[in-house]
Amino acid sequence: MKRITLLLVALTLVVPAALAQSKPDFSGTWKLSGTMPANYPGSAGWGVPSPTLVVKQSPTEVTIQAGQYGPTPMTVVYKLDGTDTIWEASSATQSGATAMVKWRTKARWDGNKLILFTWNTALNQMRDVMTVSNGALTIQRGTEQPGPSTNATLTYAKGS
Amino acid sequence: MRSRTPSLTAWIIVIFGFVAFSPRASLQQRIGPSAGKGGVGDITGEYEIPDPNWPQWAHPYPKPGYIWGSQGGVFAESPNRIYLANRGELKLPDKVPPNFPGNWGFFNQMAATQPIANMVNCIVVVDGNGKLIEAWNQWDKLFEWGRGPHQVYISPYDPERHVWVVDDMRHVIYRFTHDGKQLVQTMGVLDEFGENDDLTRFRRPTMIDWLPDGTFFVADGYGNTRVVKFDKTGKALLKWGSRGTGPGQFNTPHGIAVGGSPPRVFVSDRGNRRIQVFDTDGKFLEEWPGIAPHSMLMSADEHVWAVDSLTDRIVKFDLSGHVEFSFGQFGTRPGYTWAPHQITADSDGNLYLSEVFGGRTQKYHPKPNADPTKLVWGRSLMPLANARTN
Repeated sequence: MKRITLLLVALTLVVPAALAQSKPDFSGTWKLSGTMPANYPGSAGWGVPSPTLVVKQSPTEVTIQAGQYGPTPMTVVYKLDGTDTIWEASSATQSGATAMVKWRTKARWDGNKLILFTWNTALNQMRDVMTVSNGALTIQRGTEQPGPSTNATLTYAKGS
Repeated sequence: MRSRTPSLTAWIIVIFGFVAFSPRASLQQRIGPSAGKGGVGDITGEYEIPDPNWPQWAHPYPKPGYIWGSQGGVFAESPNRIYLANRGELKLPDKVPPNFPGNWGFFNQMAATQPIANMVNCIVVVDGNGKLIEAWNQWDKLFEWGRGPHQVYISPYDPERHVWVVDDMRHVIYRFTHDGKQLVQTMGVLDEFGENDDLTRFRRPTMIDWLPDGTFFVADGYGNTRVVKFDKTGKALLKWGSRGTGPGQFNTPHGIAVGGSPPRVFVSDRGNRRIQVFDTDGKFLEEWPGIAPHSMLMSADEHVWAVDSLTDRIVKFDLSGHVEFSFGQFGTRPGYTWAPHQITADSDGNLYLSEVFGGRTQKYHPKPNADPTKLVWGRSLMPLANARTN
């Protein structure tokens, strides 16, 4: 009985760690490669890909530095426990005017894919489905704004 | 030569008649002199010029310094119970011109959700005089991260008269109890859009209409390019449509109306500037080109009324696609419209139009001796099961 209890305790400790370790690590500096779709990006520069992404990943969050979420690069945090991160920033709106805009992010794993959600009150939305394979980062990006929806596949290579 | 002239004239008449009266003729061709009724220059049709102070509750302002922004939807349950779907309030300039009429369209800035709309008083209910009956402020938070309610409806066939609200930007459809106290169903996944094959998620849905058995159809929408058919519980049964310009393909299916015998599904394919007609399993039947409706309404007399985004005209079609009457014109003065986005009518013959760019909802009262065939008649609703009348 004692052995079974110890085994269960060990499994309780080891399995989650093993599962966590099985998730891909997106950390690093990534350089945009390939060409952008013709109809990209959406209105007000929303969804335009950053030439460079600096990704930091911990067991609890992913931070994307220099992410191009609009006309201005930003550093954005995505918590991996499914909870929201909310902040305010002076940002471009659909009309082109700058205003205080509320931002919100969320993330979740779907197998080896990491899905990042970004919204703001200037009516912009972005869903990035990130995968990494053979040293390449692929982002399936969908955006919404009052104008047309966009879908694009963005490819990044490891840079420095 | 003399013998050929009558023949040529006859051919011209035949060709002109075909073009003018065929369902394939464009709207501009069909609302010309041949329609003989309404037509270009008829601003309000068989209706009086609306009172610019209706609804009273929103005039002069919902609260000091703020004004209603984009008006996505309006639904008249009865002459004394009208639901208004407001896509947020906007801050007025510090100095407002003395001739300011009270609606956002006056400022000529188009999108009445910008720069940032405050999502308050998103669903309100007013009486026939426009006095506030209910403000569903408990649900304002639902709209905070989007652009507010897109449209609002009650199924004509629901004895409980649930209130349905489409939120395109957050990709969901809500069903509330009649009094607004409970949210009983959310369709779609909040804040997550899905692609055309995904039956659990929408991508900016736009409009709903029902069959008598409770089956309903959703136009989906700005992002996707399809119609989804649901049973009365909300279980997805099938979908049809893809992006394109061919039969059964869409570019912004934005309006939908269901009716006729056998029933048909009329879809406003707004981006392709046409209405497409399907059977209830999605089989393409025909198209009516030359009109790009924001919204459509199946009337009690089984006609499709469409509000055209190209011309700001309100157009009455028979179910074969022939134009019987039209009126309306772009503008911001009373009676004119700027992007009429939902059309509804009550049992007294009053017409209501919500305007997304004009930033107002107008109530049109029939003229004395109005021709009833030129008025919009909403479908009567099932009697409310647990009687509440106003």
